[in-house]
Amino acid sequence: MSAVPAKPPRNWLAWGGTIAFLVAMTWWSAHGIGFSLTELLCNLAGGSRLLQESWPPDFAFLPRLYEPFMETINIAIIGTVVGGILSIPVAVLAARNLTLGRVTWFVDRNFMNILRTLPDLFWAMLFATAVGFGPVAGALALSVFTVAVISKLWSESLEAIDMGMPEAVRAVGGTWLQMVQFGAIPQGLQHYVSYALYAFELNVRASMVLGLVGAGGIGMILEVQRANFEYERVSMIILAVLVAVLIIEQISETIRRRLE
Amino acid sequence: MDNNSNQGSIRFSDANIVYPNGTVGMKDLNLEIKPGEFVVIVGSSGAGKSTLLRAINGLNKMTSGTVEVDGEAVPQKDGRELRLLRKRVGMIFQDFRLVKRLTVMSNVLIGRLAHVPGWRAMLNLWPAHDKEVAMKALERVSITEKAWVKASQLSGGQQQRVGIARALAQEPAIILADEPVASLDPVTTHQIMQDLVRINRELGITTLVNLHFLDLARKYGQRIIGLRFGELVYDGSAKTVTDEDFRDIYGRDFTEDDVLDEDVVG
Ligand SMILES: Nc1ncnc2c1ncn2[C@@H]1O[C@H](COP(=O)(O)OP(=O)(O)OP(=O)(O)O)[C@@H](O)[C@H]1O
Ligand SMILES: [Mg+2]
Repeated sequence: MSAVPAKPPRNWLAWGGTIAFLVAMTWWSAHGIGFSLTELLCNLAGGSRLLQESWPPDFAFLPRLYEPFMETINIAIIGTVVGGILSIPVAVLAARNLTLGRVTWFVDRNFMNILRTLPDLFWAMLFATAVGFGPVAGALALSVFTVAVISKLWSESLEAIDMGMPEAVRAVGGTWLQMVQFGAIPQGLQHYVSYALYAFELNVRASMVLGLVGAGGIGMILEVQRANFEYERVSMIILAVLVAVLIIEQISETIRRRLE
Repeated sequence: MDNNSNQGSIRFSDANIVYPNGTVGMKDLNLEIKPGEFVVIVGSSGAGKSTLLRAINGLNKMTSGTVEVDGEAVPQKDGRELRLLRKRVGMIFQDFRLVKRLTVMSNVLIGRLAHVPGWRAMLNLWPAHDKEVAMKALERVSITEKAWVKASQLSGGQQQRVGIARALAQEPAIILADEPVASLDPVTTHQIMQDLVRINRELGITTLVNLHFLDLARKYGQRIIGLRFGELVYDGSAKTVTDEDFRDIYGRDFTEDDVLDEDVVG
């Protein structure tokens, strides 16, 4: 019988050091952004007045939300579909075991990482400059955002597939594309669908935020009402958005769980 | 599937394979296999059996020397030439290698990939002729009734039959089987071996089978090739191979682990 090695003692010094470091970092950051507890408490009064003005939500306003809401959903759908398709080659070429060569892999991987680094708002601004403010700019921005989300996640699950089947496709004389289509993608399909649904959830939320900067949809209505101090309508919009997002996430999560 | 008699010959000349980590997979191999032969390759684990098979369809590249199929050197870099060679060489694997979520038919059609225009395969628009070839291949291994069943719903033996059908769908001159029965139970093992022998007889397809059970090698092989540390150490008829020969190939006495049916030992 081999001896069980003694359990190493817990390193209290490392623990204490980490906690002290985190506290110091938080303190420093709060100071940097001018956060002060006293100021926050003073502003609470203003906050409560805002809440009073927002109550009750203006339910009469609800029917007028239908169209912008559908626009938001449409932007999210277009972004997910276009981005979902474009993310397929990006993910495959970024997977070390499937890519076409070192150079392709390197270029694609860096391209993917750059997409990921830039936030969705950046893309919205960029496309708004190119095609003007509106839903088209929003859909384009979300397409790029979707590529960034799906390709990174999916390239990692593609790297974990069993390479037996792809090899079998090469052994029958299949091309690289056929190796990918028949050997690799069937193994990664479940993950792909799951990531696409996840991207859709993110896109619904993002397309509301994008509306704030003029990309159309419900976010734009929200911004207009806020600027006009129509707080009862604002609260109605927020309530509606909350319910809608919860419902969409429930559906998407149910489908994803079914897949596993 | 008419096989004319000068199809399916294989020749290794001074062939060497050294893996990037320095392991010798094949050493100074000179070997000739005639069209239509049924060859069983034996040797202990790591002897180089898979290396030999995979050199024939270019999955393993030569370090030096050549391997030829029907007098033409197997291309040593990936590309169209190599794909054309692979089109004529079917391969069967220990782990079947089917797309589990697809039907049996779809899996067998993968054997037709190199025969049809790329866009047809991509869009799943297979020509009637190719579907017919696939169906005939399923018939050959008596599993036509499973054509529209998902591969994941088949037993191991049935899955290996689909593997064989996929190879047959290529209308190959050569079939390479790398331990095709190693994940099967004894009864199924014999059925699959009989299928391979029958197909070899009926269609004249040159067949190379890696096996690690000695009694199977003796029972089903025509010709037995023994490998040890990547070298050819035995080449002779399955009828005349002796226990002594097996001892030399394995470099040790053999045990019950080396045979499928234990009562054969001794
Ligand atoms: N890709 C590889 N890289 C490095 N070494 C390898 C590689 N493939 C095989 N080898 C080594 O080459 C030698 C021959 O391997 P091979 O797979 O051909 O043996 P085998 O006879 O098929 O063995 P087994 O019965 O275990 O399948 C072994 O020592 C093996 O470890
Ligand atoms: Mg092997």
